[in-house]
Amino acid sequence: MIDWYNSNSVLLQTTLTTLLLALSIQVSMRVGVFSFAGIGAFGIGGYLAAIGMTKWQLETIPAIAIGALAGAVVVFLLGLLIGKLTGLYLGMATIAFTLIVAVLAINGGELTGGASGIFGALGDITLEGVALVVLVVVALLTFTELGSLGRQLDTVREDPELANSLGISVTRYRRISFAVSGLIGGLAGGITTLTRSTITPEEVNFHLVVLALTVIVVGGSGSWVGALIGSIIFVWLPTWLDFVSEWEELIYGVLVTLAAIFLPKGILGVIRDLIHRWQSSRAKKAAGVIGPDQDPHSISIAETALPAGVGGRTPNRRPASTTKEES
Amino acid sequence: MQDVLNAAQLGSVYLLFALGMALAWGTIGILNFAHGATFMFSAFVAHLVSQAFALPLPLALLISVLTGALISVATQVFAFQPIIHRSRNITTAETRILIGGIGVASIPLAIAQRMTHSAPFGINTTYQDVVWDLGLFRLSSTSLIVLIAGIGLGLGIIFWLRRSKQGLALRAIGVDSETAAGMGINQFFLSIGTMAVAGGLAGLAGALLTIQLRAIAPETGDQLIIKAFAIIVLGGLGSMTGAFIGSFILATVETLVLKANLGSWVDAVSFGLIFIVLLLRPQGILGRKEVRRT
Amino acid sequence: MKNQKIGRIVAAALTIGTMALVTACGGGSSTSSASTAAGGGAIAQEIKLGAVHDLTGPVAYAGVGAKNGAEIAIQEINDSAFLGQGVKVSIDEVDSAFEIERATSEMTKMMGNKDIVAIIGPAASQQAAAVAPLVERQKVPTVFTQAGSSGVVIGDYTFRGTAPMETYYHRAAEWMKAQGLTDTVIVYNAQFPTFAQLADTHFPPLAQQNGITISNKIAVQTNTQDFTGPAQQIAQANPKAVNVLLNAAQSVTFLNQLRQAGYTGQAVATSVQGAGNIAPAGDAAKGLVYPTDFSYAQTDPKAVAFAKAYQAKFNKLPDNYAAEGYDSIWWIARGIKASGDSSRQGIQKGLKQVAGEGFEGAMGKLTFEGNDMRVPGVMIKWDGTAETLAP
Repeated sequence: MIDWYNSNSVLLQTTLTTLLLALSIQVSMRVGVFSFAGIGAFGIGGYLAAIGMTKWQLETIPAIAIGALAGAVVVFLLGLLIGKLTGLYLGMATIAFTLIVAVLAINGGELTGGASGIFGALGDITLEGVALVVLVVVALLTFTELGSLGRQLDTVREDPELANSLGISVTRYRRISFAVSGLIGGLAGGITTLTRSTITPEEVNFHLVVLALTVIVVGGSGSWVGALIGSIIFVWLPTWLDFVSEWEELIYGVLVTLAAIFLPKGILGVIRDLIHRWQSSRAKKAAGVIGPDQDPHSISIAETALPAGVGGRTPNRRPASTTKEES
Repeated sequence: MQDVLNAAQLGSVYLLFALGMALAWGTIGILNFAHGATFMFSAFVAHLVSQAFALPLPLALLISVLTGALISVATQVFAFQPIIHRSRNITTAETRILIGGIGVASIPLAIAQRMTHSAPFGINTTYQDVVWDLGLFRLSSTSLIVLIAGIGLGLGIIFWLRRSKQGLALRAIGVDSETAAGMGINQFFLSIGTMAVAGGLAGLAGALLTIQLRAIAPETGDQLIIKAFAIIVLGGLGSMTGAFIGSFILATVETLVLKANLGSWVDAVSFGLIFIVLLLRPQGILGRKEVRRT
Repeated sequence: MKNQKIGRIVAAALTIGTMALVTACGGGSSTSSASTAAGGGAIAQEIKLGAVHDLTGPVAYAGVGAKNGAEIAIQEINDSAFLGQGVKVSIDEVDSAFEIERATSEMTKMMGNKDIVAIIGPAASQQAAAVAPLVERQKVPTVFTQAGSSGVVIGDYTFRGTAPMETYYHRAAEWMKAQGLTDTVIVYNAQFPTFAQLADTHFPPLAQQNGITISNKIAVQTNTQDFTGPAQQIAQANPKAVNVLLNAAQSVTFLNQLRQAGYTGQAVATSVQGAGNIAPAGDAAKGLVYPTDFSYAQTDPKAVAFAKAYQAKFNKLPDNYAAEGYDSIWWIARGIKASGDSSRQGIQKGLKQVAGEGFEGAMGKLTFEGNDMRVPGVMIKWDGTAETLAP
């Protein structure tokens, strides 16, 4: 067992950093903000940690801390700028932001190493250290998923108008979610970079966005647990599918497609549904009444993402008005 | 003058690619992320056939168009339709279609990468490119074809959507699908038809571009998707005329940036444009206005 | 709500537990203690090498090439009993698939396998740079092919069996001077580190030394597909030469558009265009020249012999990636012979010793700068169907 642990320590660590990356987006999705800015924060955090270590002679922890903080600040400011956008528009604006970070990195000359990126930023990072950090993050997130705070955030996501009328400050929570997603993203970037000892502009790209998104979609976007499930699957997939390693990308694509079609709430959603059914069938037996069939905490990524009105189309149930100028 | 021509040609390339995506998105609301893979794989199939014998240009284009249409229809039938069926409302469906498209896109990409070892591939064709030196500027026959195809198809689709019965039906679906269904519009078949056309356009773009560039790599399709995003955002979600104009605006700005020797900032143009447009005028130049939410 | 909380935690625990179990049982097994190097000071009968490089992904051509070249070398070594009668060298190939984490974890696993005494590392620069510190820490001699950036050859246990492009690019500059091509325009992919460095740092001084003026530097991106603008710019400026620093697909398009724009001057490219990679460009690439570290057109006996053996086994002509793999394995073999020790330390010492002396490989007379290979380099002309030596 110890042997396995040692030879797979890299994969275990990668699972944790992928989890952080996915969480940086999941945190936004929880409050209904369809933002990928966390990935941009990954790039900012990674670069600053690498620069900090190689050019400013910082130690591991301060370097990562600077990266995480910078991520938080930049994404928070971004949130102030574009926070009013919703749905797909917001998603695209944040993707654009992420890709602009990459362009800045390439054109950053000596500071960012240009196209070659930065090498030699080897941090003093252990699996246990990373696990500790992730544990803290997860504990804090669990706190936001339970109790009255959890319900408030759910309302902000599901029905912002209702939330406002209940006195919950939707804008404030949204802004905070930007900052938190930037913090986690920057943290993920810093840790990943100092573990690998290198970062290049190529890494901050659309594929990273896609990776984080698919991790959440397949795993389940309702809670950090879903992100964990997703991370485990996608990091360990090549190992499990070793025998078809040549077709790995294809299997990846098929899995994602199947998840999109059949698992709207991700694997976590399936597990939750099963538990619910088991629970409610017990309750039914015990009390002879029909149990609840909607779990307010289980959300599908789709419901998070797009409130009504994107593209001028209204969902059929709402009579919201839109003026349409046809092509 | 030559610069104008270059920008126009680049714009036609972008337009050909973005047309299919904008069509599906603007009418039946399908944001098909697999559009890039469809584009690339259609050209790839033409490449495979052309390994056996040199294809005349029309045949190469035909093979590509049919492949593209097939792929898009298959995607619609096996992925998108089931998603729509299983979704409670359109907004839920939209995101799942997005993810599903991403998943589907990986499949042709993986196959092509496997078979080419990620090396570029071209189409072996009997068509010979001819270059005309017209004093003020030079024009190659392929560029001319791309220009005509892009502008012609673009205008054609715009007018067709506006004037024809099917076009009207499509736009009705885009506005309010339930009412449209109530009016007797067969959404299922129109959707399939639209996706077939969108896929065919992707295939056409794929073949033309491969011939013009002499070779493309399996990753080329994905690179163009981001440009298509920029174009559609710029022109406005849901507007074909917007996509038309957006293509040429993006191409012009990129050409100018390249000319100013700022080659490594070209991508910043696309992304910056997306960002600024979304900031200042999210509905783009000609898009439909949207209710701002809380 | 408490039920939900419990339910969630149980679900999480179950999932994680199951995954862990599956991986633990399915995944790595503890290493067997097969015959390893006879602890310090002798050449074992069975020498196991490892390779972690890109067999799939965007640079698969480099990894597969190296793998093929290595195979030829190993066969020769075994057949000729170079390391002694009955000594068998074998190699364990693992795919890093262009993923950093994959490369790192496979390298870690391989290094944890005590039977493996030397490793051929990833061809992609970033993966190589990521595993280099690990290699140093674990003290397993690793020879990288390609991986031309800095941060790869960082210590005693990291070696590179490929001369970075800038170390033999002077051949291009000298050839241009000899041909009287005294002014040129550079078109380069600014997002690709090797090309960016060539254009910004390495070529300008070479040009100056050889009396070449760089009248313009046009930067493009990796995803630039249309080069009509730059092509016409160049056609109008009409320099004597154009230095093309683009990747494979881009070069094909660029050369075509360059000729379409009416430019008739000399195009000078890089080894990326080698081994027929530029064939899709058709007539537009006729007469293209480029410096490379290996070509089947080379006439020195070792190169010819290698090309022959390669063709016999794989039914096609070798590219420079194959030559790099071939020479890297021979470097290791010579290292073992020199130190007389096939343990990890022994190989490390041997590699260093051979590097100090240099040797004759398929790529010509190989010398070394520290642990980094240097080749004489050769100028190749592409005549539209085959490579020939440039005059």
